Amino acid sequence: MGNVILETQHIVKQFPKVLANDDISIKLQEGEILCLLGENGAGKSTLMNVLYGLYQPTSGRILLDGRDVQFSSPRDAIDRGLGMVHQHFMLLDPFTVTENIILGAEPGRGPTIDYGAARRQVKELSDRYGLRIDPDAKIENLSVGLQQRVEILKALYRRARILILDEPTAVLTPQEVDEFFSVIRGLRESGVSIIIITHKLEEVRAISNRVYILRRGRVEGERETGNVTTAELANLMVGRSVVLTVERTPHEVQPEPVFEIEGLQVLDDRRIPAVQDLSLTVRPGEVVGIAGVDGNGQPELAEAIMGLRPVESGIIRHLGEDVAGVSTRDRIHRSISYVPADRHRYGLVLPFTVAENIALGYHDRSPNAYRGQLDYEGMNGNAADLIKRFDIRTSGPEAAAMQLSGGNQQKVILAREFSRKPTFLLVNQPTRGLDVGAIEYIHSEILAMRDKDVGILLISLELEEIFGLADRILVLYGGRIVRELLTDETNEKEVGLYMMGGKERSA
Amino acid sequence: MMAPVLLALIVILGAAGTVLYLASYFWGGLLLIAAIVLHVWRVGLLKGSGAVRELVRRSLRSAAVPVFGIVMAILLGGVVMIFSGYNPFVAYGALFYGGLARNWHISVLNAAPLIFTALSVAFAFKAGLFNIGAEGQYYLGAMAAAALSLYMPIPGFLAIPVIFLAAGLAGAAWNIVPAYLKMKTGAHEVITTMMLAHVARYLSPIFIRAFGGDPSTSTHPYVTTRIPEHTMLLRFRAFLPEANARLHTGIILAILVALAVYYLLYRTSMGFEIRAVGENRDAARAQGISVGRNIFRALLIAGFLAALAGFNQVNGLDHRLFENLQAGYGWNGISVALLAGGNPVAVIFTGLLWGTLDAGGQYMSRTTQTPGAIVEIVKGIILFLIVARYIYTAFSNWRKRRRSRAVNVATAAADAAGGAVRGEG
Repeated sequence: MGNVILETQHIVKQFPKVLANDDISIKLQEGEILCLLGENGAGKSTLMNVLYGLYQPTSGRILLDGRDVQFSSPRDAIDRGLGMVHQHFMLLDPFTVTENIILGAEPGRGPTIDYGAARRQVKELSDRYGLRIDPDAKIENLSVGLQQRVEILKALYRRARILILDEPTAVLTPQEVDEFFSVIRGLRESGVSIIIITHKLEEVRAISNRVYILRRGRVEGERETGNVTTAELANLMVGRSVVLTVERTPHEVQPEPVFEIEGLQVLDDRRIPAVQDLSLTVRPGEVVGIAGVDGNGQPELAEAIMGLRPVESGIIRHLGEDVAGVSTRDRIHRSISYVPADRHRYGLVLPFTVAENIALGYHDRSPNAYRGQLDYEGMNGNAADLIKRFDIRTSGPEAAAMQLSGGNQQKVILAREFSRKPTFLLVNQPTRGLDVGAIEYIHSEILAMRDKDVGILLISLELEEIFGLADRILVLYGGRIVRELLTDETNEKEVGLYMMGGKERSA
Repeated sequence: MMAPVLLALIVILGAAGTVLYLASYFWGGLLLIAAIVLHVWRVGLLKGSGAVRELVRRSLRSAAVPVFGIVMAILLGGVVMIFSGYNPFVAYGALFYGGLARNWHISVLNAAPLIFTALSVAFAFKAGLFNIGAEGQYYLGAMAAAALSLYMPIPGFLAIPVIFLAAGLAGAAWNIVPAYLKMKTGAHEVITTMMLAHVARYLSPIFIRAFGGDPSTSTHPYVTTRIPEHTMLLRFRAFLPEANARLHTGIILAILVALAVYYLLYRTSMGFEIRAVGENRDAARAQGISVGRNIFRALLIAGFLAALAGFNQVNGLDHRLFENLQAGYGWNGISVALLAGGNPVAVIFTGLLWGTLDAGGQYMSRTTQTPGAIVEIVKGIILFLIVARYIYTAFSNWRKRRRSRAVNVATAAADAAGGAVRGEG
């Protein structure tokens, strides 16, 4: 391994409400592949944007080749030999590979472009780095994997010595991932230093020399990939971010299941199976926790349960009836409730009032409406009751949901879903991004629902949350349930192990 | 006991005042003022003085931006006039005298179709859609109204309601294809409705030849024959003898439809769904609201509303269908809707404002030789200053939602720029 080529010292990035990077110091050595591992919101992308000149750090230094540098814009970073490949490609679809690569740095004199020279240069680059591509192909006719290759060539064309890749495998098929890995190794051999941002543990193991683990804006650890176990990485990444003060008291479970899934298969947006042969059972009065690292099929599973994503095959049974083909609306009206992971996108209509958000979904029935006409008196009255019951801090039912804090917005969703007397409740990452007080409140409300004999399926990326609430734990890995465990008979270490792929699943 | 009587009195005073004022009986304005005063008093009676203060404050606040925009636009327009050698006092005097007093009836006649098309655009807006092709639905409404008026044997008292509905349905039908494509394939309604608007516009000459227009005769080659008396909208003169002879009650219909649209959007479950889809379709969908169905019906209702402008022109004003109608009401409806911020009730006022500026501008250029184009400048500035507020909020929302993407785009731009610098060096 060579010298340190790029280094950050004590980088702090404070956004108005969030401390995104808190004293981050990392080193990139020449000719190595470095991974930055962390969950969503751990501060990886912020750090990269600081390195790339998009954000100015609140404090801290960046050193390039041992010298202090300041990037006031990406242009500075590019000029100093940094290249970045974003998760969403920045390519012009109707243009050719060559045109995209030279865009903004066209060879030629004055207003004319020397396409011959451009083609030659692109060809030369692709030969030198073993990035095979047809320079005359149009982007729109290329696969996603090849488009990514064009992005890499674009950076190399601008003489990048350091390549930063943001979630590079998120959009690739498994075969493309393998090819991508060999391309990256080839680049390393040619002396390019590489930073990969990822939340996938296997990827870190497969490709990197070294890894920094980020959590909540801080560096949680630094490891040589060669002598670290996946379980250790997972523990560092998931950590103990939830402070649990709510006591899970024992509660009797009813024997007859309220909700069952059998042999479920669901595809993701790329039409690759995200959930495979998944079966589970939830009984009234129990919390079943789904533990797993992000990106193992959680959103697809949740969407399939709510009818927001088509089911490829399998049965979803609620109160003994198959609801796999039933509309979302009918699922809601047959007492399935849902707390989505992304409350701004799926949970709330932010410009609507608190009362209107509580009415959403039940906006065509009492107390919110009568014979197709909205009853604002009933709607606001109901909302006022729930505001009191769920202790929502707001100026009243007619305040816009937008004006509430994150915790209170989540309480609005809870008030809506819990007040509808659900028999089955799907809760997906209910405390993401909330403060300790709100977390405690939401946990106790979930347990209160369990005590009312509601069957609850809890999806969470936080192991502490799973252990704090769930009676049984199902470990989700690669879209499958790899292990079922009783909370009282296992520990975080064991679950963490199965979250990594469960090598001992038959044990 | 007192409250319902008071409410009835307010409604009667307000309605009578509106009708009188629109027919150039300007003392009707006094009735309107009385209705407003009574309304404020009633609020105080029922909810206390705090509610009155809140009401006044809210009204002032919502009027602040539009009034500011209009005043600024007039001032800036005056500056333009001075620099181009016209006397702004003379010109504006003529503009307001013409638009608000002498030719007020023309202002009102201008406003009615604008209100219909603007309601159409505003409605689609609430569903997150841009019905840019209101012009096409307007033509369809006009053609359907003319055809039915001329050739359907409908008994007198039924004729108007049947034609009204049928014209609207023709406009709705015209939007079936864009709505279906949007729902099934995501094809953008801006493209599809605009293309269909041009189709509709060039259908009208064919239509006119089919319905009485004869290019070989020298008299009226490009109009249909006149529609029968019983299919014409009632005129103000029928009950207010001093009203202008051409002034018909289409404006009353427009106001009633605006109130109905407000009711539909803000007081029904259907309107709730449409607004929810417009504001956040993912959250709406997660709560079981069908996005496709609401997009479909919002575009059809928008088509219905725009087509009513055609009905208004044929059965109210022209009593026949001219080739090219008075083109442009569909396009101008977009400005009027934007100006109203998509609020159906505000559309009534912005429609009247636009109608007034047009009528006053004509009068001004006739009497003072100030070019009418100055009015277009004033309109442009008003639109800019008032809409800028919506652009601003829309922009900041968009920025919040797309922050990560915006960052990426900025990077790409910088990538390109950075490369360019190197390319030169």
